[in-house]
Amino acid sequence: MPLETEARAQVRALIADLKPNDGDLLQALHRIQHEYGYISREAMEVVAEQLGLYAAEVYGATTFYSEFRLEPPPAVTVRWCGGPACLVRNGRGIRDAILATLGLQELGEQTADGRVGTWLGQCNGTCELAPMMWLEEHGHWDEARVVGHLTAARAVRMARALRDGASVDEVTRG
Amino acid sequence: MGEIGDRFTGLRERAEAAHAAWRRPERPRIDVADDTSSRANGARATRAALERLAGERGAAVDLGRNHGYGMQWVQPLVTITWPDGASVLYGPVRPDDAAAILDEATGRVGAAAALAIGVLAGDRPGIPDIRDHPFVAPEPRERRLLRNLGLTDPESLDHYIATGGYRAVARALDRHLEPRAVRQLLADAALTGRGGAYFNTGVKWNFLAGAPDAERYVVCNADEGDPGAWVNRVILEGDPHLLIEGLLTAGYAMGARHGFIYIRDEYPLAIERVERAIRDAEAAGLLGEGILGSALDYRLEVIRGAGAYVCGDETGLLSSIQDMRGMPRIKPPFPAVSGAFYKPSNVNNVETYANAPFVLRHGAEWYHRLGTAEMRGTRLFTFSGDVERVGVLEVPFGTPLPALLQACGGIADGGQLGALQSGGPLGSMLPASLLPTLNTTLTAFRAHGGSLGSGGMVFLSDRACVVHFNEFISEFVEEESCGRCTTCHGGNQRMTEIFRRVIAGGGRREDRHNLELIDVTIQQSNCQHGQLSPTVMRNTLRHFSAQYDAHALGHRCATLRCGGMTRFVIADQSDPALADAAAICPVEAIRGSAGARWIDDEACIRCGACEDLAPRGVAREAVPVAPAIVPIS
Repeated sequence: MPLETEARAQVRALIADLKPNDGDLLQALHRIQHEYGYISREAMEVVAEQLGLYAAEVYGATTFYSEFRLEPPPAVTVRWCGGPACLVRNGRGIRDAILATLGLQELGEQTADGRVGTWLGQCNGTCELAPMMWLEEHGHWDEARVVGHLTAARAVRMARALRDGASVDEVTRG
Repeated sequence: MGEIGDRFTGLRERAEAAHAAWRRPERPRIDVADDTSSRANGARATRAALERLAGERGAAVDLGRNHGYGMQWVQPLVTITWPDGASVLYGPVRPDDAAAILDEATGRVGAAAALAIGVLAGDRPGIPDIRDHPFVAPEPRERRLLRNLGLTDPESLDHYIATGGYRAVARALDRHLEPRAVRQLLADAALTGRGGAYFNTGVKWNFLAGAPDAERYVVCNADEGDPGAWVNRVILEGDPHLLIEGLLTAGYAMGARHGFIYIRDEYPLAIERVERAIRDAEAAGLLGEGILGSALDYRLEVIRGAGAYVCGDETGLLSSIQDMRGMPRIKPPFPAVSGAFYKPSNVNNVETYANAPFVLRHGAEWYHRLGTAEMRGTRLFTFSGDVERVGVLEVPFGTPLPALLQACGGIADGGQLGALQSGGPLGSMLPASLLPTLNTTLTAFRAHGGSLGSGGMVFLSDRACVVHFNEFISEFVEEESCGRCTTCHGGNQRMTEIFRRVIAGGGRREDRHNLELIDVTIQQSNCQHGQLSPTVMRNTLRHFSAQYDAHALGHRCATLRCGGMTRFVIADQSDPALADAAAICPVEAIRGSAGARWIDDEACIRCGACEDLAPRGVAREAVPVAPAIVPIS
C-alpha cells in the first residue's frame, strides 16, 4: 500500500468515526464538501475505504445527488431558484439574463477566472419572495444571502458587479 | 398512576411553570419569528435592530423567538407579549420599525398600530383577533397540527410539554396500553398518509407490526421535494417535538427501536431544530434507553439528503439511507418486509406522523369532528404563485378551493385565475373554470384527472402560459429521473424535447399523438416518479386543449411568454428609459441611437431586462406566423 498523502490523511481524520453499513455515506460526503467545497476523486477513495464500499459506488452516489460538487466551487455561487412561483414571474428570463451576463451556457458552469458560478436551486418555500436567488460565498455556505423580488434587470446588474469583482455584501447593499 | 406517570408529571410541572412565565412574562417580551422564510425576509436584521435599540435605551424588555404564524407575505413577523398575558402579532417589521415596536412594547400604546395584524392572546382594544383575519378564515377556529405555530418557542421542549405534548404517549406507557390498541385507534380515526397516497395509517402500521424480524425501522420522509410545497418544513421548524412524539408513538405501536428522519438538504434550519429536539428529548428521558423509566428503548437519527427529488419516493429514500444512490427499488418486496438495510420498515411523511399524537391524545371521535366522511381530519397546504398572500394553512378536508383562493387574497395585481397547479410536478394542472367544483378531497380532484397531492397549491394567473409551465415540469421530472427505467428517463427526455420545441415555435401536428404515446409508455415505469410524471401533461392536453393547439399548431402564445413565438420590439422611441434598456441588455441586442433604436431579434434572448426598465418603450408582440409549407406529393 502506498504511503498515505497528507490530503488523504486529512480526509480520513474528518470521517474517522463513520462506519460501514451504518447509513453514513451521505454524512461523509457532506462533511467533505463542507470542509473543502467539493469532493475530489481522492476523497471518494478514502470514503470508500472507510465505509467498506467500492470507489465506483461512492462515485455513483456522489454524482447521483445534485448538491455534491466534483470541482472546486467559484468564489461566489449564484443559486437560481427553479421553482414554480419564480417561473411565473419571469424566472426563466432571469436565469438566461444571468447566464448571458456571465458568458455561460448552462447552470452549473462558472466563469473562467473562478469568480462567479451558477447553480440550480430548488424551491424551499419562501415563495413570497419570488422570483428569487441565493448568493453564496465560498466557505460561507451556511450564510447564503437571499435576493428576492428580482427582475431580470436587477439580476444583470448583480451578475455584472459580481463578475467585476464585487462581494456579495456590496451587491446586496441598498 | 405508576412510576412512569410520576416521572412525566415531574417533567410536566417544570414545563408548565416555564411556559406560564413565557405566557405572562415579568416584563414585555418581543419575539422575532425565526424560520427559513422569516430569515429570507430579513428577520435577523430586524432582530439585530431591536437588540441594538433596546440596549441603547436600556429598555425593560426581553427578546425571544417563535415561528412565523404562517403568514409569509407580511414577514418579518414580530410578537409582543405583555405581563398581562396579551400577545399581538405585527408585520412586516423592518429594522426601521424597531423604535415603534419598542415604544409599543414599553407602554406607548398605539405606536406600532399601523403594523398590527391581530391579537394572538388576551385582548387589545382596536386590534382584531388573529382568528378573524381573512387569511385564516378557511381554518377551524382552533388549529391542530399548527396549534403551537407562532405561540411557542420551537426550540423549547418545555413549551411543547406544557401545551399537552408527550402526555398521550406517556399515558400509553404508564398504563401499558397495547401497541395493537394504538394502531387500532389510528385505523378507527381513519388517519391517512399525507404523502399523496392517503392510505390508512393504522392499517399500514399493522404490516410492520406483524413482521417476523425484531430488527425493524420507523422511517420519516422529510424529503419534501415538490417545488411549491413546504408543509413539512413548517412542522419541522415550527414544532419539531410534534414530529418526535409522532415517531415515538410509531416506534411504540410497531415495536421498533430505531427511527430515521430523512430531511432534504434544502432545509438546514429544519435539520438543526430536529437534531436539537432529539437531544433535548433524550436528555429528558423521552428518547433513548428506558424511556421514562419503562422498558422501551427508542432512538432517532437524522439523515441529511443531498438534492435528489426521487428520494421522496419511499424506496428511493430507503436506498439513499443505506449508502447507495437513491434509486427506487422494485416492489415487492414492500418496505414492511424489506426496507432500510433490508429490514422491515415503515415509511410515512412528516405530516402523517405529526397527526398520530393528536389521535392518541383525543381519540378517533374527536379526530372525526373535522373533515369529511371520505377523508377525516385536517391537511396542511401551502399557497404560492400569482396570489396576494403566500403562506401555509391547516384546513379540514373538503374545504372548497374558491374559499382558499379568497383567503389568499385572490390573484395578484387584479388578474384572473388561469390554472391551479397542485401536488407538485407529479400532481395536476386544472383550469380556472373547474375551481367552483373543487374541494380538498381526492374525489373532487380525481373527477377531473387531477390529484390532491402532498400539500402544494400554486395558483397561476391567466397571464401565465400553461404550455410554458409544462416545459418546466417535464424538464424537472426528466432531470430528477433516477435513470433505471428507459420508459421514464427516455420518455421524459422525449416529452421535454417536444415541449421545448413547441414553446420555441416549432410545434408539429404529430406532437399531440406522440405525447399521448409517451403518456401510456411512461406509466410502465417502476416507481411513482415515472408513473406520475406525465400527469400534468395529460391534464394540459385535456383541459387546456385550445391553448396547446394554439402553440403547437398555430404557433401562437396568447400570453406572449413563449420565446419562440414572441419577440421584443421598440414600441415608443420617445421613452427616455430606452437608453437604460439598451445598457442593461446582456447581449447588446438593442441597437441604434436615440430616436432610432431597434432590437436585433437574432441576438435577443427574451430575458425581459429591457422591459423591466422601459415598460413603455419596449413591448412584446407575437412573431408573425410563417406560411405553412404544403408538401407536394
